[in-house]
Amino acid sequence: MKILKTLALLLTLVSTIAYALLEVTIIKSEENAFPIVIAPFEVIGDAEQGAQIADIIRDNLNRSGQFNALSSKGVITNKIDFSYWKARKKDAIVFGKIEKVSSKVFNVYIYVYDIYTKKRLYGKKIAVHNSGIRRISHYLSDKIYNVLLGQKGSFDTRLTYVTVTNDENMDRIYQLEIADADGHNAQIVVKSSYPILSPAWSPDQKKIAYVSFKNGRAEVFIKYPFMRVKSIKLPRFDGIASAPSWHPNGQGLVLTISREGNKDLYFYNLESKKLIRLTKDVAIDTEANFSPDGKSIAFTSNRSGQVQIYIKDLTNGKIKRATFEGSYNAKPVFSPDGKSLALVHRVGKDYRVALLDIKTRDLTVLTQNKLDESPYFSPNGGMIIFATNRDNKGVLSVISLHNNQIVELAQKGAEVREPNWSNYSK
Amino acid sequence: MTKKIILLTSVIFLSSCAGTSIQDLGGKFLDLINPSDPAVEVEDLSDFALILDGESGGFTSEELADSDVDSSEQSRTQTEIAVETLEDAGVSFVLYFSYDDTEIDEEATQVIIDHANFMRNNPGISLKLEGHADERGTREYNLALGENRALSVKEVLGLYGLENRVEVVSFGEEQPIAFTHDEDSWQKNRRVEFIYQ
Repeated sequence: MKILKTLALLLTLVSTIAYALLEVTIIKSEENAFPIVIAPFEVIGDAEQGAQIADIIRDNLNRSGQFNALSSKGVITNKIDFSYWKARKKDAIVFGKIEKVSSKVFNVYIYVYDIYTKKRLYGKKIAVHNSGIRRISHYLSDKIYNVLLGQKGSFDTRLTYVTVTNDENMDRIYQLEIADADGHNAQIVVKSSYPILSPAWSPDQKKIAYVSFKNGRAEVFIKYPFMRVKSIKLPRFDGIASAPSWHPNGQGLVLTISREGNKDLYFYNLESKKLIRLTKDVAIDTEANFSPDGKSIAFTSNRSGQVQIYIKDLTNGKIKRATFEGSYNAKPVFSPDGKSLALVHRVGKDYRVALLDIKTRDLTVLTQNKLDESPYFSPNGGMIIFATNRDNKGVLSVISLHNNQIVELAQKGAEVREPNWSNYSK
Repeated sequence: MTKKIILLTSVIFLSSCAGTSIQDLGGKFLDLINPSDPAVEVEDLSDFALILDGESGGFTSEELADSDVDSSEQSRTQTEIAVETLEDAGVSFVLYFSYDDTEIDEEATQVIIDHANFMRNNPGISLKLEGHADERGTREYNLALGENRALSVKEVLGLYGLENRVEVVSFGEEQPIAFTHDEDSWQKNRRVEFIYQ
C-alpha cells in the first residue's frame, strides 16, 4: 500500500478566511504549484464591487492546489514588464479591469499572458450584473484554469452538505444547505429536527435527493432548491429507503430499499415511477454510485462477511468484487473519468479516504484522519471533498489530488457533514 | 405450567417451518427455553397481566371521562403503566452489540424472552425496535446495520409469534446517546432500544 505524503510533508501556511457561514482554511502546499500573478483589477468609475473579482479568482486557484497565485502591488495595465516577472519566477500573469456601464451593470475585461512566450493566452470582455460578480469570477477562474492547465476547472459549481447544531433547548437542528464551491453564498434548503443524510445533486443541478427521518424512519426525498415546489417522496417498503444516487442522465436514481428486512439496490425511474431490482442478496447492499457512463454501479456489501466494494456491470448483470485490501472498504464513488473509486478504507482502527484504481486494484490512502466519511469528487476529478473530525468537530475537507493540499470548510458552533459536489453549471 | 408447554410448542413449530436463519437462532433458543431453566418460568410473567388488570380497573371517573375525548391518550397511559411494571422487574430496554455485529448472545436472548412474555401478557401493546450503530464506518452502511440489529431482535420475538406486533426502525449512527470518540461511547451507541406504544 502506498500512503501519499500528507500533512507532515506539506509546507504548511494556514490562513483562515471567514465569509458567510462557512470558514475556509487552506493548509497550503506549494509543491508542484504553478506560480502565477493575479493583479488587482483596475476599477474605472464607481465600480468598487468589481474589485473583489481578482481576489475571488486568486482564492479559487489557490484552493485547487494546482496554483500558487499571488497578487501584485498595484494594478497592471497593458504594459507588462515581462522580465520583472520572469526574474521572480512567475509563469503567467492575469490582470483586468472593470468599468461601470449603468447603475447595476459592469463590463469586465480580463487577460492572461504567458511570461516566457509573452503571448496572450486569453482575453475576454463580459457584461455582468452586480449580483453576478461572484458567479462571473468562478466562470473566469474555470477559464484561466483551462487556459493554463488544459483541463476543466470545478469553480463554477456548488456544494450541498448537512449541518447539525443545538438550539437553546439543546435539541438538535439539522439543516440541508447549499453553497458555492468556495463555501460562499451558503443557503439553507431544508431545516428539520430529524436527521438528514446523503444529499446528492441531480446531474442538471436543479434537484437534490436526500434522506430524512422526519416520518420516524429513513425515506428518500427530492427537493428543488431553487423553486417553490413541494419535495417529492420516493417509494419505500417496510424498512429503510436510503442512499440515493442519480443516474448520469438524471432520469432516475439507485436507492437502497429494505424489503422484508433484506437491503438491496433498486433503480427508481422518476418518469415511469417503476422500481427495478438491481441486486438480490441476503447481505447488506447499499451506498450505490453510478459510473459516469451509467453502465455500472459500485456499491458496498457485506456479502463476503466483510464490508467490501463491488461493481455490477448493468449491461451483463455480472457483479465483481473491487476491493481486496483491508477488512473494511465502503461508500464508493466513481471519479469523473470512471477509472477510480474514492472510498472509505479502514486502517487499524481509523477510517480514511482512499483512492482505488479499478483496473490495477492499487489502493492509495489519502489522509491520516480517524473518522473520514462520505468522499465525493469535484466534477473535474481534481479534488475529493469528504467529512472528517477536527478537534472533535465535524468539518468538510477538500484534498487536491494534484499535491494533497487540504482546504477545510467549517462552521462555527456546528457540525458540517455529508458533502456532495454538483456537476458543471449549464 | 400449561402456558410453558404452549410456548415451547410454538417455538418448535416456528423454528421448524421458518428459514435457515431462524432455525439457527431457534437452536440456541431452545436450549434457553429448556423447562429446567428457572429463568424462563412462565409463572412469573402472568403477574404482569394481573398487575395491569388491577391498575386499569382503577381509573377514576374523571380519567374515564377524559378517555372519551382522547382514547389514544388513555391507552398510551395504560401502556406506560404496563411498561413501568416491566421496568420495575429490572428488565433492560436496551440491548448492546459488538462492532459491525448483529449477534444476540445468551444474556440478550434472556432479555428478549422477558419482553416476549411481557408482550404475550399485554396483547394490546405493540413494540418498536430502534436499531442504532456507533459512528465508525459509513453512515448508510450503519443505517443498514442498525436495521439488521433490530431485525435480529425481532426474529427472536417472531419465535413467539409476535412479529406482527413488532415494528423495526433504524437510525444508524444518527442518534448517538454518548458523544466521545472512543470505545466507551461506541459500545453505548451500538444498541437496539425497546419502545412500547
